Amino acid sequence: FNGGWQTSLRSPVLGDMVTLFTFCAEVEDTLKRIQGINGVIGTIVVNAEGIPIKTTLDNSTTVQYAGLLHQLTMKARSTVRDIDPQNDLTFLRIRSKKHEIMVSTDKEYLLIVIQNPAE
Amino acid sequence: MSNTTVKQKRTALKVKSSKTLNVSSGVFRVNQSITKTINPSISGKSFSSASDSKVLDKSLAQTPKHTVQVFDEHGQDVTPHPLYNPDPGVLQPKQGKIFPAHDTSWTTMTDFPSVAFQTTNASFTGPFTKSFFGSVSASRTSQTTESVTDETKELLVKPDLSSSLSDVQARREEVKEQVREDIMDRVVDSYLTETETIWLLDIPAVSVSEDSGDAEAVKERNNAYTELCKNRHGNDKYVERSMQTFNDAPKTKEVQSDSITMVDKAVMSTTWDMYDSFCNKADVSENTVVSAEGNKATVPDSSSMSHLLNPSGLDQSMSVFSTTSTVSGSSAHLEKMTCVLPVEEEPDLELILQSDKFKKDLAVMERVVLANIFQPKLAAYRQLPVIEDPDYVQTQIEEESWTEQSKNSLSPFLEHLWAFKCELTKGRNVSSMTWNKKNPDLLAVGYGQLDFKDQKPGLVCCWSLKNPTWPDRIFHCESGVTALDFSACNANQLSVGLYDGTIAIYNVQTTEQTPIIDSSDCANMHACPVWQLRWVDHDTGLAGEDKGEMLISVSGDGRISKWIHYKGLECVDLMKLKSPNMIVNNQRWNPKILSLAPGLCFDFHPNDSKIYLAGTEEGHIHKCSYSYNEQFLETYKAHTGPVYKVTWSPFCPDVFLSCSSDWTIYLWRQDLSKPVLGFTSGQKVVFDIMWSPHCATVFGAVREGKVEIWDLRVSSLDPTIVSASSPGVNPTALLFTPETDCVLVGDSEGQVTVYKLKNLSAGDSTQVEALEDVIRTTLSSQHTLGKTDRDA
Repeated sequence: FNGGWQTSLRSPVLGDMVTLFTFCAEVEDTLKRIQGINGVIGTIVVNAEGIPIKTTLDNSTTVQYAGLLHQLTMKARSTVRDIDPQNDLTFLRIRSKKHEIMVSTDKEYLLIVIQNPAE
Repeated sequence: MSNTTVKQKRTALKVKSSKTLNVSSGVFRVNQSITKTINPSISGKSFSSASDSKVLDKSLAQTPKHTVQVFDEHGQDVTPHPLYNPDPGVLQPKQGKIFPAHDTSWTTMTDFPSVAFQTTNASFTGPFTKSFFGSVSASRTSQTTESVTDETKELLVKPDLSSSLSDVQARREEVKEQVREDIMDRVVDSYLTETETIWLLDIPAVSVSEDSGDAEAVKERNNAYTELCKNRHGNDKYVERSMQTFNDAPKTKEVQSDSITMVDKAVMSTTWDMYDSFCNKADVSENTVVSAEGNKATVPDSSSMSHLLNPSGLDQSMSVFSTTSTVSGSSAHLEKMTCVLPVEEEPDLELILQSDKFKKDLAVMERVVLANIFQPKLAAYRQLPVIEDPDYVQTQIEEESWTEQSKNSLSPFLEHLWAFKCELTKGRNVSSMTWNKKNPDLLAVGYGQLDFKDQKPGLVCCWSLKNPTWPDRIFHCESGVTALDFSACNANQLSVGLYDGTIAIYNVQTTEQTPIIDSSDCANMHACPVWQLRWVDHDTGLAGEDKGEMLISVSGDGRISKWIHYKGLECVDLMKLKSPNMIVNNQRWNPKILSLAPGLCFDFHPNDSKIYLAGTEEGHIHKCSYSYNEQFLETYKAHTGPVYKVTWSPFCPDVFLSCSSDWTIYLWRQDLSKPVLGFTSGQKVVFDIMWSPHCATVFGAVREGKVEIWDLRVSSLDPTIVSASSPGVNPTALLFTPETDCVLVGDSEGQVTVYKLKNLSAGDSTQVEALEDVIRTTLSSQHTLGKTDRDA
């Protein structure tokens, strides 16, 4: 889980295509751990266009969450940056009666975790 | 108005006869037909007259001639005078050009007023030219008296001219008068010279005298012309003919075009959008520089960026190609781009998941999610008010247990908060724990078997309070970890002592498995397990290279050594723990053979860093000095078994505690060779003790199967809090938290449990006096006992 072999990824020559397809173990472990925490309902990783690239929920729910949260994040980011263009949105948390949705935002992806904290 | 009046004027000032088409000057256009519907405002009609004049140039003889006159009821000519006289000097050059170019001359005429205005306003010659003009026209009028049509025009002209003349004359006279008054007596020399002849106006004559040679020719020509005019009537040569154009049949032609698709396009310009485009303009130029340096890391990034721009299909690959080419700008990179393009989905996904940012975000997210669960516990740990989750519905069972505890809330107890445990640590024995000096949330735990048997590779985990389910750093070691300490100067350095005697220093900022430095190359390295490590700061009173922080270790081979990080780890022996029994009892033994008692613990005095205590396996505690490594300052003998821990009291400078496997804990004062107090509770080995950093009279002890908290104000016979651990599990390490009132207990199953001390009446002060009181009373009672004994 050192991630030491990442350097080979950075220079994609045809021969190294194989390495592109394997994930970093550390990231996988962390994602699994998050999913295994008590009360976590689902984890979704969404790319910059709102297309989910990794999920632990079923397809329809994933698509719904991804689309809606993507729009909301855009709006929230626009709000933050309108006030100060050098600022940027980093984390968004929505607490509802039943769940808490936590979105970690970045320019290139969204990391969404839905948790039921009462359990 | 002035424009039109000019025109009117010009038309009026016609110089030649109407019969000849030789219009001498374009200005003096023959205006034969003026519509009958004339009104006093001549201006309007002048336009039409102007246009008509063009037509009429061609058919002069036919059209009737109208005049522009206005007569009132008395028959007086009240035609308004033209307001403006064009400058004849300007008109002169136009004479030759008139005939072919009517339009141009017409346009030039329009220029005249402006020009003439200027000239008349500016130049003093204006009036003169006018007068000249007037005289010329006057002469002309005399010439052209024959033509009837002209007369009326002349009538118009005359009053105007006369008025202008009179104006001029008036001006002239004025000037003359002035001159006479001023220069009456003076003799003025006037020089008369003849200037060049300046032609101001040259209008060739349209009439020829009878005597000239051409007269005959002219007459003939005139006659021919009149004949021609007469013959026009009824002559076959001149026939009126009309023409009609054919109108073709109309034909409808339809054309249909593709429907124009309308697309609504909206753009929202936001503050950040403008800021971004401004910044990106600067960045693009930077990127070309960066990629030109051959930084390959940017290549997949730019591919992902361009991929994001054009998500659909390989057919867009060309445009992707072009966008990346602008960014990267080197051909070698472009080749690599073409390789990456066919696999469009994968790089995007991969790059996101491998990016460092993603890892960080994941870590944060993990902590956030856990914080939701552990928030009440962490709040209790940090002594913050615990907020009840408003949506959290407490179940029946939990309520009951809660009320039970609240009932017993008067007596002090240990409240279990949480436990640091994970799969990695299962089954391992916690051997040592230490807090990070800089970050109070960071805890380093060493896992290693303390026994000789079943040794396995050790583990060091750095836990963060914010994530009790998985350690932030994991370091695997070759043998069991027996000692740990964080450096105070470089808070990221963690020194680890191992069962095989190696000392390694790790940098906890990275996740690298290899330590910064290792003592395995050192010739003097310990041969036995390193039982305790400490970074000691020798600021006080030492000169030279001894200043600064040093790593000091005690090991089972009986040496206390100081380690210096020079080129490798070098060590210098501070003390050799000679076994005093040998020396005292067996004097016949050869003193050259030194046997050393294995050292198990040591502690430097909190105030005076030269003095330290060392505990040995034989049960002796030696007080030593840093600068004197031959002999001990003092030896305290009371324990009958190995002394596992010795600690100075952080509040009372003379007091220290020691614990041993002979089931006892002793409280000493450094000037007394006998312990002041002894604490036993049951026949269990005491593994670890620690003074509470908050209260001078409180300390904790870890026995086989129990955790005890002693408060000397309450009782010195029994521990105040006793917390039994689950059967089969032995607590092996104890650590107080420096800031809050919690205590950590590590056990032989790999768990580190966090307990909160509840209802321990700590009070505000550190109770130093209380401790001293206790000691004093104990001593005095001992003394009295001793006395009574003697007495008795």
